[in-house]
Amino acid sequence: MATFTINGTTVTVEKNQKLLRYLRDTLRLTSVKDGCSEGACGACTVIVDGETCKACVLDTDSLEGRQIVTVEGLTDWEKQVYTFAYAEAGAVQCGFCIPGMVMCTKALLDKNPDPTEPEIRYAIRNNYCRCTGYVKIIAAVKLAAQILKAGVLPEKGADDWKLGSRVQRLDAAEKVLGTGKYPDDVYLDGMIYASALRSAHPRAIVKSIDTSAAKALAGVVGVFTAADIPGSVKVGHLKKDWDALIPVGKMTHYLGDAICIVAAETLEIAEAAKKLVKVDYEVLPPVRNPKEAMTGPLVHESGNLLAHKHIQRGNPTEAIAKSKHILTQRFTTPWTEHAFLEPECAVAYVDGDTVVILSTDQGAYDTQHETAPMLGLPMERVKVQNMLVGGGFGGKEDVTVQHHAALVTYLTGRPVKVKLTRAESLLIHPKRHPMDMEISMGCDENGNIQGVAVEVIADTGAYASLGAPVLERACTHAAGPYHYENFECDGWAYYTNNPPAGAFRGFGVTQTCFAVESLLNEMADIVGISPWEIRMRNAIRPGEALPNGQIVDNSTGLVETLEAVKPYYDAAVAAGKPVGIGCAMKNAGVGVGIPDTGRVKLVVEEDRKVHIYAGASCIGQGLGTVLVQMAVTNTDLKRDDFVYERSNTWLAPDSGTTSGSRQTLVTGEACRRACEKLMEARNAGKTLEDMVGETYYGEYLAKTDPLGANVPNPVSHVAYGYATQICILNPKTGKIEQIVAAHDVGKAVNPLSCEGQIEGGVVMSMGFALREQYPIDGNCKPIDKYGSLGLFRAHEVPEIVAIVVDKPGLNVACGAIGIGEITSIPTAPAIADAYARYTQARQFDLPLQNTPYERKA
Amino acid sequence: MAVKKKFPYKAALVACHGGCRATGCTYGCTGCGTCVSACKFDAIAVGPDGVARVDEAKCIGCGACARACPQQLIHVHDCANYIVVKCSNHDKGAAARKQCSVSCIGCRICEKTCTASAIHVVDNCARIDEAYCLSCGMCAVKCPRKVIHDLRGICAEK
Repeated sequence: MATFTINGTTVTVEKNQKLLRYLRDTLRLTSVKDGCSEGACGACTVIVDGETCKACVLDTDSLEGRQIVTVEGLTDWEKQVYTFAYAEAGAVQCGFCIPGMVMCTKALLDKNPDPTEPEIRYAIRNNYCRCTGYVKIIAAVKLAAQILKAGVLPEKGADDWKLGSRVQRLDAAEKVLGTGKYPDDVYLDGMIYASALRSAHPRAIVKSIDTSAAKALAGVVGVFTAADIPGSVKVGHLKKDWDALIPVGKMTHYLGDAICIVAAETLEIAEAAKKLVKVDYEVLPPVRNPKEAMTGPLVHESGNLLAHKHIQRGNPTEAIAKSKHILTQRFTTPWTEHAFLEPECAVAYVDGDTVVILSTDQGAYDTQHETAPMLGLPMERVKVQNMLVGGGFGGKEDVTVQHHAALVTYLTGRPVKVKLTRAESLLIHPKRHPMDMEISMGCDENGNIQGVAVEVIADTGAYASLGAPVLERACTHAAGPYHYENFECDGWAYYTNNPPAGAFRGFGVTQTCFAVESLLNEMADIVGISPWEIRMRNAIRPGEALPNGQIVDNSTGLVETLEAVKPYYDAAVAAGKPVGIGCAMKNAGVGVGIPDTGRVKLVVEEDRKVHIYAGASCIGQGLGTVLVQMAVTNTDLKRDDFVYERSNTWLAPDSGTTSGSRQTLVTGEACRRACEKLMEARNAGKTLEDMVGETYYGEYLAKTDPLGANVPNPVSHVAYGYATQICILNPKTGKIEQIVAAHDVGKAVNPLSCEGQIEGGVVMSMGFALREQYPIDGNCKPIDKYGSLGLFRAHEVPEIVAIVVDKPGLNVACGAIGIGEITSIPTAPAIADAYARYTQARQFDLPLQNTPYERKA
Repeated sequence: MAVKKKFPYKAALVACHGGCRATGCTYGCTGCGTCVSACKFDAIAVGPDGVARVDEAKCIGCGACARACPQQLIHVHDCANYIVVKCSNHDKGAAARKQCSVSCIGCRICEKTCTASAIHVVDNCARIDEAYCLSCGMCAVKCPRKVIHDLRGICAEK
């Protein structure tokens, strides 16, 4: 027992528990986020006697007499200052880390009102952010210090909400103050907790499951196995191969497989009951890598080859053989974990004959489409509401907890919360595919690419997830953003008993871009021109055909991004600094002939405001802000006339998954079209009052040709973004001094948000290039600790110069091309090239070794 | 002698909390004062408990005391890493337990607890790798011997 003060109120806590649990579960101070409960992430940072502390670490019994402050306990003035500073600086993306960052800011500024930048970086360095690369958070702390000193809030830098305006994100305040709700922040009356027992073996037959002892434990509401699933046991984003629960007699596929779900009055009881479940396995040897999958035992009855993709134009073998310069090299890239700050969580309840799921996902409709058949219900009887999403990066495209929550509430009638622990999250959701790539390139004496041939082998893990399209995108984009005709890529994705691999920012292109760009850098050395020059000579320009045959439009701005980095490149070379470079292209939209539709409904409601409904998840990239800026630009209405509604499956029309950098373009264009309809009414003289009850619907099908379409110049994607990034090393320390990232985005809807995407993407791929690891042992068991992944921390991040290049020419979405993924793509080859020049030795495997960032031991 | 310190600040750390006086730990601080003589900045002193203590505000992390210490139990650390191990006893658990009430017995609970794999038992004594430590204090909270300290006095004793 201990007595202490929280936000000025004295409390006495009888039962010793972690402070985090008391703050959230008892006091409902939900600004204090539970990101890992293991001391790593910092999302639960609070201030104890003036010092920052992670609330998941402290036992309440140890807090006698302490003064504790959470974001809820800030003064009104502090709330205004931090909200303004974080929003104005563009520091808020998914928002999950932000209350913890605000606590760090306050603790710093209370002691040191005028901190230097290194002091700011140190003040937040024990807190992870996966979205922003910390750049704009550091800017927010500086701005907060200025405002606190001045004593008045400044004017907003931009407030017109037109396209191109650096307006503050519309959800910044609720994320800074912690009032916005992620699923874990929802506490319903009578809510129970459920947790799945995971497989003890990556590959084993479940012989029997004895739940009797678990069911007998007081407080257990139910223990459910596959036999209790009313509909289909298999779920899956595209291919239905993922067992919601492993049925008795069937085989497990990885250690994350759910055997049964325990539902109980408290999470502690559920965890205790899980230990009472007796499972009898017939253990089988696991398939640990693609090599074993080619010849080894079956992971799935359908065979171990999930997908084979073959793309060919021209005759690369002949073209390469005839080339003056030929290079062939093998590259490998590792597993990578998304490490979004918010672990998977869903709350579900029954409303009449409908199951309602409050979800954090990349598509509410995807969750509905996976869950309803499992429950044996028609789609309309499963409603999904997208809550705030604490980061996704591709890792929240598959259901992980939503279907389990739906099943438990359906079977018990009780509201239920299912949340993954951080260790479960690391194990369960699909990762970035490790890839093994062999690539050959031929160039003429001037460095003009004559042909490229690539082979890719990917470990797609236990389930399909988005493995097949990821492999396909890895293959299509292995050609690079260059104009040449002879290209071939063969790719294979094999099932193994490792955790599944699926979508991850870059969608396979991150891997093959590392290979092709690294080879091009080596080629430049052989040809005797600079790596910048070889790109300028080969760069795709408007009107030219890509290796896939697509003739690119006037928005194609690779050359502009090369020119944008040139002054930095030349200056660094002149100063004798090691410089590396990489270019990339990335599609916006799903493409390759797959139906890809954006849908937006503008509804004028009783409040005389236009409510924007789009069944499209904002996972932190700022979709709501994009749509409002799109709407303000394309109507005669003002910002305050619009209300952005979070995605759901009953009011918002299906606008597809947040994937493939598609929402700004595809849903953006649908929004523009809806605005056209709305303006017809406005132009007919209607006021908003006249329009109450009216709906204006916009739909856009991003039409493309399938791969291998029998047309001379197929349109594989409606748009591509282009980028050039350079990495400059300090020649003395070998550390990265600066990364310059120039991105062609067509039309930047919100340059502030674009910069945030670039900075975050660059830092994420600094991790990919230099340090991040997700090691898997010989029994297919991955690392289970968040703090050991090697994510970059605030004090380690170099200067990042984000250059947003606008280039008109795309005739939809006011020219806006999504930027979500490409920001992460050219970083690794640029960094690898810089270190190759620094150490005089090229490396072909990530993460790079022998850099100052390498994690030893 | 006032010296302008460069951020990030470094300071000496005496890896002994005392407590060994009565029972004779051979690794602990003997209060000999060699470090005090070696320090030009008046930043280290032997406290009333007979154990040397560093004043981080004065210490510039030059390491003179560390080089002078006959017990070799002083090292220079990053002040921002306020979670520290204050023990240098390298004897095995049972022996270390007898010698001191706040000695590291090498039980490795800290190792298992650490999210960042930043703390390891080396030669029977816990050691933090400050490059990786996230300063959460989970090891300090879990340490059954109270060997791991929070220099701010929040998660554990100073």
